[in-house]
Amino acid sequence: MKLKTLLAAACFVTAFTSSAFAQYPEKKIEIIVGYAAGGGTDVMARTVAPFLERYLGDGATVVVKNVPGASGQIGVTEVAKAKPDGYTLGTFNLPGMMARTLDRNAAYSADSFTYLANVVDDPNVIVTAKDSEIDTMDKLIKAAKADPGAVTVGMSSLGGDDHLFLVRLQEDTGAQFTIAPFKGSAPARTAVMGGHVAMGIFNLSEILGFRDELNVIGLATKERSSLADDIPTFAEQGYNVVNGSLRGFVAPKGLPDDVRQKLLDAFKKAYDDPEFSKAMVASGNPVNLTLGDDFKALTHEQYDFAKKVWETTPWK
Amino acid sequence: MYSNLLDALPQVLGWANLLSVVIGVTAGICVGALPGLSATMAISVLIPFTFGLDPLVALGMMAGIYNGAMYGGAIPAVLLRIPGTPAAVATTFDGYPMAQSGRGGFALQVAVVSSAIGGIVSAIVLMLLAPPLAQVTLLFGPAEIFWVAVFGLSSIVFLLGGDPIKGLISAAFGVTVSIVGLDTITGYERLTFGHLELLDGINIVVLLVGLYALPPAIDLLENAHLEATTDKFNLGTGSIWKAIPQMLGFWKTWLRSSVIGVLIGILPGAGGSMAAFLSYNEARRAAKNPSEWGKGEPEGVAASETANNADTASAMIPALTLGVPGTSVAAVMLGGLLIHGLQPGPMLFRDNPDLVFGFMWQFLFGAILLIFLGGSLATNSFAQVLRLPRPMLGAIIIALVFIGVYSINGRMFDVYLTLGFGLVGYFMDKLRFPLPPVVLGLILGSFAEENLRLALRIGRNDWSTLWQNTTSQIIIAITVGVIVCPLVMRVIRARKSDNASSGQ
Repeated sequence: MKLKTLLAAACFVTAFTSSAFAQYPEKKIEIIVGYAAGGGTDVMARTVAPFLERYLGDGATVVVKNVPGASGQIGVTEVAKAKPDGYTLGTFNLPGMMARTLDRNAAYSADSFTYLANVVDDPNVIVTAKDSEIDTMDKLIKAAKADPGAVTVGMSSLGGDDHLFLVRLQEDTGAQFTIAPFKGSAPARTAVMGGHVAMGIFNLSEILGFRDELNVIGLATKERSSLADDIPTFAEQGYNVVNGSLRGFVAPKGLPDDVRQKLLDAFKKAYDDPEFSKAMVASGNPVNLTLGDDFKALTHEQYDFAKKVWETTPWK
Repeated sequence: MYSNLLDALPQVLGWANLLSVVIGVTAGICVGALPGLSATMAISVLIPFTFGLDPLVALGMMAGIYNGAMYGGAIPAVLLRIPGTPAAVATTFDGYPMAQSGRGGFALQVAVVSSAIGGIVSAIVLMLLAPPLAQVTLLFGPAEIFWVAVFGLSSIVFLLGGDPIKGLISAAFGVTVSIVGLDTITGYERLTFGHLELLDGINIVVLLVGLYALPPAIDLLENAHLEATTDKFNLGTGSIWKAIPQMLGFWKTWLRSSVIGVLIGILPGAGGSMAAFLSYNEARRAAKNPSEWGKGEPEGVAASETANNADTASAMIPALTLGVPGTSVAAVMLGGLLIHGLQPGPMLFRDNPDLVFGFMWQFLFGAILLIFLGGSLATNSFAQVLRLPRPMLGAIIIALVFIGVYSINGRMFDVYLTLGFGLVGYFMDKLRFPLPPVVLGLILGSFAEENLRLALRIGRNDWSTLWQNTTSQIIIAITVGVIVCPLVMRVIRARKSDNASSGQ
């Protein structure tokens, strides 16, 4: 008798929960952004949210919650520890979020998440001031090799995509540069324009508005970008470096498969919506979709590279 | 370019856009006047809501809030000696003594007129001189910014108060607080004790309300038996139009402080508080009666309030043209632009002239509106607050402070931190340690250090690179001229009179 009740209860609970998932989403979905409102990642999340609502259907509501601090670490930790029910998602930045697991004590790892979609791929660029004599890769590498460390590089921070890009470049060319880490890319870009540093490493979106003030020496992609197809890639100039800043969305580890599938479909449909890429590019987010397991593989690849760099040349 | 400016005008004069500026200024005055709430916070709270609004309406609100808050901060600074915003610290020096001697109403009128003048000058500079001034910003690399910070730090000398040792201890405390967080050059964590919340450093609002707002609030509770504060604070407000003629003698201060405010505004990373401190010092140095300053000199209020509004629109110059905000408020405003798909940079002026130039007009209207909205109406309504019984007023301030601090990052950690600083501030108050050096130390300590180390890194550890270029040399010369010379002169004069008296 007792066993029967228990079984019935268990059946009831199972039925109840699975039906709850079948109707996902039945309450508001929160996207945790690890940065303050108005930053690049925040704008991405706010641009994506209405498209997610549209393609999840059923009157879904998606709200953005800012949990700023420690360059995104506080927010992403909250996502890692949240209940994997599909109602807490978070933004995810590469290589930053993986680099933090190396250079700090982090309460999460690459395995703490269910990977949904990487949406933004903002490739690295090298720029110099407009009146600089260095305006091609060959001249740059020649100058850097002539006097190792004489070429100063302005960039946003250590352990970010700018920094890892420079490491890749140093590996590929054998040249040595002096890193000047500014507090954010805008001050670094101003220092390049004012001639206070010899060159700068940024992301494509950060220099699109400054084409007349800067020489853009190269783009770290396999093929030219449709946003500025006059910028040559490094590969074209004989340098094999591909790198960039990636921004996407994750959920806590252990997300039920049906919920995951529903979200992946919604991301895919949003990405295919021409309005979506228009809105994203306008807010400075060059789009490139990497879904589900591919995104997971991408994260591990980024982690492995950051780890290798950290072990050979730690940045602190 | 100037035709663009005129083309943008009709759109700004539309009722929705004008109304947004009015709402912004009013909200800004309130936010500024409430201790713990700042313009930075108000705008960052607003940004998500503006997502669906017309860009000019959103921008108008932000411009209004910025202008309004920079004046609003003066209201509690004058009435309660609690600066409503970080930039209003220097306003307490003379504003509060004026209120105690029954001239609080006049102090607030001086503040509102000076704020409006600073804001108007700044807006006009933004409209007419943005591109050339952006070139000035480019002259300032890490080495040059380091010297500006040194200039600011050396003005601490004038803020030490009666006991220089206590003053220096205060300044050292401020500098120590400023180095908490992640060191950008090496990536090491400093004084964070493993707390992620401390990695980004300590927000100035947390320190400011801890030191400045909690001790007076506790004092209100401690001495609850005293009468309501109304008798002491006889505001004595007349019409603002009658008060203005009495202020015309401040024109030199208005001019000087506007220039200082605008210049500090275009330097990335400095901000309203530094502008107010510097301009207060300069005005006092130029005054005929420097010994009266700090005891209720209206011109002191004028100096501080002009400067902290004069850096509002000018801080948008590097923000709009280069993407580097001149102040923390300008930094959040950039976020507000980005959310409307407006990327800062030269292209912005080409692609969206109506918006950019409309935004500039809104700054001008915001500054002018201050006189009407911040005049006797706002001043008198805030003065009513002082009629509240002392325990209630104290409790309200404490509640507001906690709400404000919590909402910066949405976490209790900051509230606990504020309580800690409140305790420190309480004892500093009792032991008569001056507070302004702490604020200046916090603002400029890590700012100087960061830029020094960045400059040395770029110069490959060759110290001489710090003073090899003209801009640095000019700033060093100004620092020596303004700070060191008067001190040396004073010492020489003191010796001479010593010799003279001993010779007799």
